[in-house]
Amino acid sequence: MILIISKKQETTTNEVIKWLLAMGKKFIRVQEDEVFEIKTKEKRIYIESDRNCFYLDEISSVWYRRGGLKFKNFHYDNHSVNIHMQEHQHWLHDYVIKTLESKKHINKQSNSAVNKLFVLEQAKKTGLDVPEYYLAENTCDVVLDKTIIKPLTGNITIDAYQNYGESIMYTHVIDRQEEDSFFITFFQEKIEKDFEIRSFYLNGRFFSTAIISQNDERTKTDFRKYNLEKPNRNVRYNLPIEIERKTRQLMELLDINCGSIDFIKSEEKFYFLEVNTVGQFLGVSSMCNYGAEKAIAEYL
Amino acid sequence: MRYFNLFSDILITKGVNRILISDLQRNYSELQSLELNNIIEELKSNSIEDVFALYDQESKEMLQEYLNFLVEKEYGFITENSWDENFPPLQTDFSDSSTISNIFIETADLMFSPQLVQSIENLGIRHLVIYCESKLSLMDFLTLEDTFNDSCLESIEIFSLYHEDVNDDFVKKLDEKCLRIYSLIFHKCDNAAFEVTDTFKFNLVFTDQHLKINSCGKVDLKYFETNMLKVLEAINHNSCLHKKIGIDINGNIKNCPAMCNSFGNINTTTLEEAILHEDFKKYWNLTKSGIQICKDCEFRNICTDCRAFTEQTHKNNDGLDISKPLKCGYNPYTSQWEEWSLNPLKQKAIQSYSMQQLNYDA
Repeated sequence: MILIISKKQETTTNEVIKWLLAMGKKFIRVQEDEVFEIKTKEKRIYIESDRNCFYLDEISSVWYRRGGLKFKNFHYDNHSVNIHMQEHQHWLHDYVIKTLESKKHINKQSNSAVNKLFVLEQAKKTGLDVPEYYLAENTCDVVLDKTIIKPLTGNITIDAYQNYGESIMYTHVIDRQEEDSFFITFFQEKIEKDFEIRSFYLNGRFFSTAIISQNDERTKTDFRKYNLEKPNRNVRYNLPIEIERKTRQLMELLDINCGSIDFIKSEEKFYFLEVNTVGQFLGVSSMCNYGAEKAIAEYL
Repeated sequence: MRYFNLFSDILITKGVNRILISDLQRNYSELQSLELNNIIEELKSNSIEDVFALYDQESKEMLQEYLNFLVEKEYGFITENSWDENFPPLQTDFSDSSTISNIFIETADLMFSPQLVQSIENLGIRHLVIYCESKLSLMDFLTLEDTFNDSCLESIEIFSLYHEDVNDDFVKKLDEKCLRIYSLIFHKCDNAAFEVTDTFKFNLVFTDQHLKINSCGKVDLKYFETNMLKVLEAINHNSCLHKKIGIDINGNIKNCPAMCNSFGNINTTTLEEAILHEDFKKYWNLTKSGIQICKDCEFRNICTDCRAFTEQTHKNNDGLDISKPLKCGYNPYTSQWEEWSLNPLKQKAIQSYSMQQLNYDA
């Protein structure tokens, strides 16, 4: 039995599930609104929510996509009892998560959210080229037109800001100094790119796509600013073996076995930008006929 | 030395007199000369300078123009010293998780049995097309939407008879309540109740033509679609029948409602049982390269094909009809389009389908 931890109406999950059905593989899909209680029967542990109920030892593989397993937490009136029971429950929850994560899996609930700053440091350690970056609270050290800013957050959208429904914080080139100081911000050297490369990574394998947008002013600094009239060309690409080796090493260091990895190719160099574990990768994959959703279903 | 690299998502289909360049990323195809094809071929194994050396002064200008064209259209790019070997070719295998992807149902109403709905789910069917010769009420449409509320079905297209209740309000209500309907065609409509604007979730058409099941199967430029998945399917399978199933007005399960062969009746046979019949999938792997005349045509990879109505001139060793679609007026040997129904060579086949009353211009 495969355990899928995801959110409602999540497209990637839906597409993978279609393949699981076609392959006759059994699965359980857990969504963000479920809360589980841990129980036992005949010395076996099972967990139960309104929608699902399964023994831990039934699960053969786990795909952590989004959201997470949540548990009911009981409180007790007696203060001393409560302190003890909180810890008692903590270790039970911890045991369930650890047991599930020790099975064959694609990503883990406990470390799927990556810290962009930490990832960049680790990437440098593996010998990957990383554009120079720093944190600052003013623009004193910024070289205008040669520096970009981008969010440190995993979620790059902002809801309901200044009358917009949803805004995306794109990578942006700094073209003027700010007089005031501001909240600590991530600055990075702007790399003149030949093109971008997005690799879907699954357990050591790379499915890479060259995203060729340089002919288009609109998509020069951020390919997500789509040009609908003349879309970027997304074609199959093979990263050099050496870059794949270092990146594989990075993913092992981060203990992540699935994600989208962004690079910039600039002449002979491949600059590592970031790893994204929760992004949508099926669009890029299907334009190259990679069948990433099928590869995930096969792995599980 | 400079080298020209063709992008892997540019597919060139060679015909007798011309080539079709299909841009599978930008969903667009265009006709070009065989001359351009020769140049592209030469550029695959020679540097740009070496190719130029093959041509005399006058032709060099033409060559330069072609090269500019290829780069401006972003069909490829130029590199120094060598081709960029990190760009591998597109793999043209086709995979789809559905057992059946499309179902075409000819029906008198929109009531489907629970068994049929379950079969649609079991087979992973994504697209449903309904052809209805009767007048459908708003309630009928909403019931249909509700029937597939919790299913894996992604889209529904409906052809139904126009009637005067179909007004602005009717369509607005549909737009509010329906998620899966993406195309609505009301036929036999002499006077549409309102002007169609582009504001609905679905595509809406009122046509004065009286569409029939045998209106289907026309092969024409306006039906061709350049789309990565469709093209990959056409390269590997039959673009008309692969993963398709049909139910005719009498409940007979077929490859397509317009075909004769039945694999059982929906009242006694499930779709799952019908597709197990040894002949059900016999056309699935007949690609255009196995069909007479079409195999030489530059449109073969974007063509819709039709196995229901053919010229009935050729059969292969397995008994498959490998004749050109009857309703195709294109001749790849002369590169001319003509009105198919007037072609004297097709009259015998037309009569055998008793299509004299056909409307020719849908």
